[in-house]
Parts: sequence; structure tokens; C-alpha cells
Amino acid sequence: MLRSAKTNSLKESNAVRFALGLILAAFPLMSAQGQAPNVNIQGGNVTLTVSTGLAGSEPLAVVNSATSLRYRRLGYIQKVTVQTSCPGQNFNLVVAASSATSGIPAPQVVLMDGMPAVDFITSIATGGGFATATLDYVASSTFAQGNSSELGDDVHTVTYTITAQ
Amino acid sequence: MKLIQGTAGALVVVAMLPLCAHAQTANHTVRVSVSVITALQVSSGAVNLNITGADAIAGQDLMTAVDQSTSLLWGVNSSIKKVTIQTSLAAPAFTLKAEAVNPTQGTSTGEITLSSIPQDFLLNIGRSSGSCGLRYRGEALASQGVGTDAHSISFTVANQ
Repeated sequence: MLRSAKTNSLKESNAVRFALGLILAAFPLMSAQGQAPNVNIQGGNVTLTVSTGLAGSEPLAVVNSATSLRYRRLGYIQKVTVQTSCPGQNFNLVVAASSATSGIPAPQVVLMDGMPAVDFITSIATGGGFATATLDYVASSTFAQGNSSELGDDVHTVTYTITAQ
Repeated sequence: MKLIQGTAGALVVVAMLPLCAHAQTANHTVRVSVSVITALQVSSGAVNLNITGADAIAGQDLMTAVDQSTSLLWGVNSSIKKVTIQTSLAAPAFTLKAEAVNPTQGTSTGEITLSSIPQDFLLNIGRSSGSCGLRYRGEALASQGVGTDAHSISFTVANQ
């Protein structure tokens, strides 16, 4: 009887320890989700307008660096990928990350409708707090690609995903 | 033993966390707009045609001079476009003709006599970046005497 009670007590104690272990292990995630998202875009939406060109050459590309990516460092190595959805895309758009405070930015990524997710910032170091990177968008077109009055604007939904690497 | 099992269980969970961690996403809209762009440029400056009569043949009235030292460059991102040509001189003393030579895009309308009314010079340049040579021919008749015409030539991209 006494032995049985002791065994039960030990089982309960182990169960409590196990539960505590679970909670402690999951705390960083729960905490992260309870506070700010692990990745967000600062600066809102972006519009780029290609408006000048050279005779005998091509229209001049336009750059926008007004937005940035803010991402949380966690207890494991992470990466950020990028992809876009732009049905009926007519013009050219690329993006690059610059001034990243954590991780290694990839070279310019060409954004094409329906593309798979492409590595954008890799090897984001472990630790706490947030890191940031400037988003450098470059839009361009050729004369042969036409204009928005005849074809409409390209509207990209650009998605950044942070995940374990 | 059970304590070890409990701890091991927790460790397994910790080790699996990166795998279980949900990917998080953020997105925004990036709009790319391209304006209607029309760029037109003549490669170099003034053209002088001197009709000296050096090539004149006794018994023939017409004397000519030709220049093909300049070219026209364009960039157009609208469809169904053409280039027209006109001169500022409404009543020239002598005849001036022009022709688009070897266009990289579109079709030349051939040699045309310039007037102050726009005339088709290149057709179907469409959405393109291209160039063509400019051939000018001045013509004078002996009966027209001597003198100088100063033309200001205008090229215009227009709807076809």
C-alpha cells in the first residue's frame, strides 16, 4: 500500500517534470507568437514607375529601397525565402536585401509569377531580438514589353517566409 | 529511471522544436507601372547639301547633292506607331527629299519630297528600340538659279 502510494507519487512527479520540460521548451515559440510576428515588413506597399527611356536604347530601371524586413532571431539557425504572385506579369522586377544585421543575403532574386520560394537571407544566427534588412526593389522594362496604359500595371504580392534552416 | 525518461522526453521535444516550428510569413504589394515612353533622337547636327553643279551634264537641267551622314534613333513602347517627317520651310526654292535607310524595325516609305505637311517616313515601328539611316537629296534645276534653303526637319512618332 505504502509502496504503491510512493510509486504513484513518483509517476506524478515525473509527469510534472515532463510537462514542465515541454512548457519550457515551447516557451520561446509561444512567447514569440504572443508578441510580435517572427517576420514583418516595415514601410508598407511599394510602387515603382518606369517613365523615361533613351532612343536607341531601353527605358531606365527604377529603384525603391523604402521598405525593410524585420525578422526575429530564435534558438536555431533560420532563413528567409521570397516568392511572388503576379498573374499576367508583363514587366521585370528583382529584389535584393541590403544592410542585413543578421544572416547572409542572396544576390538579386528575379521575381516571376508562380516562382517557387527562393532563399533570400540564409544563416540567420541564433539569439534573441530582431534583425533587419533593407528591401531593394528594381523594376525595369524594354520598349518591346509595352506600357501600363495598354497592358495594365503588374501587381505583385511578394511573400517573405522565415523558417528553420 | 523514470526521472531520466521524463528528462529525456523533454530533451527530445527540445531537439524537435526547430522541426516543429511553424514558418511565419509576411507579404506586401509591389506595383510596377510603366508609362508611355516615346524617345526620338537624330544622331548628329546639321546637314549641308551643296549643289555645285560639278556633276552637271550639258543638256540636262537637274543637279543633285546627297548626304547620308546622319541617322535617326527611337524608342517606343506603344503599339501601332509610325514616324512622320516634315520641314519648317513652307515654300523652299529647291527640292529636298529624304528617305529612311535600313531601318532595324518597321518599313521605310521610300524617298519622299519634304513639305511642311507631315508625311509618313517609317511605318509599323510598333513597340521597339531601333534606328535607321537618313538619306537627304537636294535637287536644283539650272533655271532655279542660286540661293540657300534652311530647313528645320521634324520627326514625330504618331499613331498609325
